[in-house]
Amino acid sequence: MPLVSRVAIMACIGAGVLLCGLAHAAGRPGPAGEDGDWKMPAKDFAGTRFSTLADITPQKAPSLHPVWTFSTGVLGGHEGQPLVVGKVMYVVTPWPNVLYAFDLSKEGYPLKWKYRPDVSPNAIGVSCCDTVNRGAFYADGKLFYNLLDGHTVAVDAATGREVWNTRIADVANGETVTMAPMVVKDRVIVGASGGEFGIYGWVKGLDAKTGQLVWTARNIGPDADMLIRPDTFKPPYEGGVDVGAHSWDGDTWKTGGAPVWGWVSYDPELDLIYYGTGNPSPYNPEQRVGDNKWTASVLARRPADGALVWAYQFTPHDNWDYDATGAMILADLKVGGKDTKVLVHFDKNGFAYTLDRAAGRLISAEAFAHVTWAKSIDLATGRPVLDPDKQTGVSRGNVRGICPSLEGGVSPASPAAFSPRTHLFYTSTNNLCMDYAASRSTHLKGTPFIGANSPYIAGPGGNLGAFIAWDAVSGKKVWENKEEFPSWSGALVTAGDVVFYGTLDGWFKSADAKTGKVLSKFKVGSGVVGNPMTYRGPDGRQYVAVYAGIGGDWALLAGDVRSDDPADVRPPADFMKNIARHTSQGGMLWIFGL
Amino acid sequence: MGRWMAFLSCLAAVSCGRQDVTAPSSLPAVRYEAHIVAGTAAPQGVELTNPYKADPAVAKKGALMFAAMNCDGCHGGDASGWVGPSLSDQRWRYGGADSEVFNSIYYGRPKGMPAFGGTLGVDGVWTLVTYIRSLPLPSTVSTESWLEP
Repeated sequence: MPLVSRVAIMACIGAGVLLCGLAHAAGRPGPAGEDGDWKMPAKDFAGTRFSTLADITPQKAPSLHPVWTFSTGVLGGHEGQPLVVGKVMYVVTPWPNVLYAFDLSKEGYPLKWKYRPDVSPNAIGVSCCDTVNRGAFYADGKLFYNLLDGHTVAVDAATGREVWNTRIADVANGETVTMAPMVVKDRVIVGASGGEFGIYGWVKGLDAKTGQLVWTARNIGPDADMLIRPDTFKPPYEGGVDVGAHSWDGDTWKTGGAPVWGWVSYDPELDLIYYGTGNPSPYNPEQRVGDNKWTASVLARRPADGALVWAYQFTPHDNWDYDATGAMILADLKVGGKDTKVLVHFDKNGFAYTLDRAAGRLISAEAFAHVTWAKSIDLATGRPVLDPDKQTGVSRGNVRGICPSLEGGVSPASPAAFSPRTHLFYTSTNNLCMDYAASRSTHLKGTPFIGANSPYIAGPGGNLGAFIAWDAVSGKKVWENKEEFPSWSGALVTAGDVVFYGTLDGWFKSADAKTGKVLSKFKVGSGVVGNPMTYRGPDGRQYVAVYAGIGGDWALLAGDVRSDDPADVRPPADFMKNIARHTSQGGMLWIFGL
Repeated sequence: MGRWMAFLSCLAAVSCGRQDVTAPSSLPAVRYEAHIVAGTAAPQGVELTNPYKADPAVAKKGALMFAAMNCDGCHGGDASGWVGPSLSDQRWRYGGADSEVFNSIYYGRPKGMPAFGGTLGVDGVWTLVTYIRSLPLPSTVSTESWLEP
């Protein structure tokens, strides 16, 4: 039985079977309850971004229209997603990370409260890729989220008062925090960005009630720092004592990166959290010889004490900034006729991986985007079969035609969705390649530790992006909606068999989950880099919400969209000359209904 | 590698290169044309001018320093703009006078420009100012047009 259905049924038993029967009846407005909420970033612990709400169908979706909109008051990349718990919608803005609570039971959805944290602007200068925030997590009557300057806060959901505030990261060291926390079993799991600043990457577990730090686990370095215990750690492929240090030359692991800025999922039966690590530092690979474990990897840890149970590295000795921080979606799929507990991950490196999530062994890995850095992934060893001509480094000069680009076959900021009805995964993708010229970089605390220049070019076909449906069992695209611009929104899929996504030029679209046929579209005023979500309102109807506000990496790469600062005027990007014709910066929250 | 280490330790020592450049003993001035003055009197301070003027050899040294100090990591190669704004387009958020560019690098600025003065010293900062001043003006982008010609 699929993981998602099992969780839903457990909730049903708790809520009373009769209520659940009403909630699942298609087309009839049901009571707001467990089913109609969206309490955590990806809807559930498995990370599916699938909703059982089925009022919106392919037949009804063409009549979707905006019912409400709100300016967040902040201009810049609006990643992440709103939450809805009962009759309240919660929204976190980009820096300065204001938290809004909207009363959905009153006309116009006035605020119940607005929490404005104290958050340092110095963090702005140490944020490589715009001052985004990927959202909050609701649990135990509180909203948990991270501030850019390296604090985690818990805010009382009823009153908006801060319950606790814990400093977790050091801005002076190049650490900032953009990710949404994962809250499970009284632990708040958080990590830091800073792969461009040579951090010594980590995840931390805080006590959810008090905010006290319980454990710190490094993602690289010796076993003691990584919370590796000999009887617990069982990697599916390479291992060995202190492999997180030995796979680096000298002590380059101390400034080795391995940031955590993406998404965390959790399997309650295995009691494992899963998350990806980002790139090794610096970008110039010749300064850090070796596999650089466990950068660009997926790590499975026990949430209570942080112990590492297994790890698998998608891109050993990354030469191309292929962060593996994208969503790790947990699903039960029929592999070779057998029900198998898998983890599916669309990596920046252009391969879609299906792993056995209990032990980490590779089941399949197929390219979902145009790939030139590797020919394939060897299922026996778990390692990529490299194209030696696409390796980079100072000694190699300007290496041309590497696909995917630094933006990835998909950005980790654009989490995919899974439907247990269609058994398909849905994701934005980029169709970009790059040249890559590495240079020597010196680590100077608080400054970038990079060493690469990598201009982009369009991938084959000319469209810079697409939104696709993917079969993770066969490793094939089922349908593809090409987009003029790179696709950067997250995905949402519902039991009504409708998918939702947004485009960089500002269209919010719905499509038939089985065929990809676009059912509705609306220009939301600025590029969409956040993740749509859906909920049942107090009036019993299904609504869909999404942010508009172009940014994230596009704040660097599409600087010509800005209009708000006459001191910072940029020419258009070579590879994307038209984006500013369709969007400027923005900051809007939209709600759509039938 | 040895040459780089020597260069970097030289920068940290402040006193390498010119012997006659000293640290400012009072607050450097900011030219207030760019600011509104309350009344008629602009605040006074020590006026700083670049002792290297437009010396091309110093500008070349500054170019190397710009990469070595990771300035290009935020401001882009050739200071054309990346995470931080362009330093070559004559659009200045905090002022483009010698004193103002010096202050931006030496003391840092809001929104995340770090303070490099302690690491580079007065001499190092003027070297960077000389490089920045030497950058050619890119073509201006006041109007972006998508009209068919």
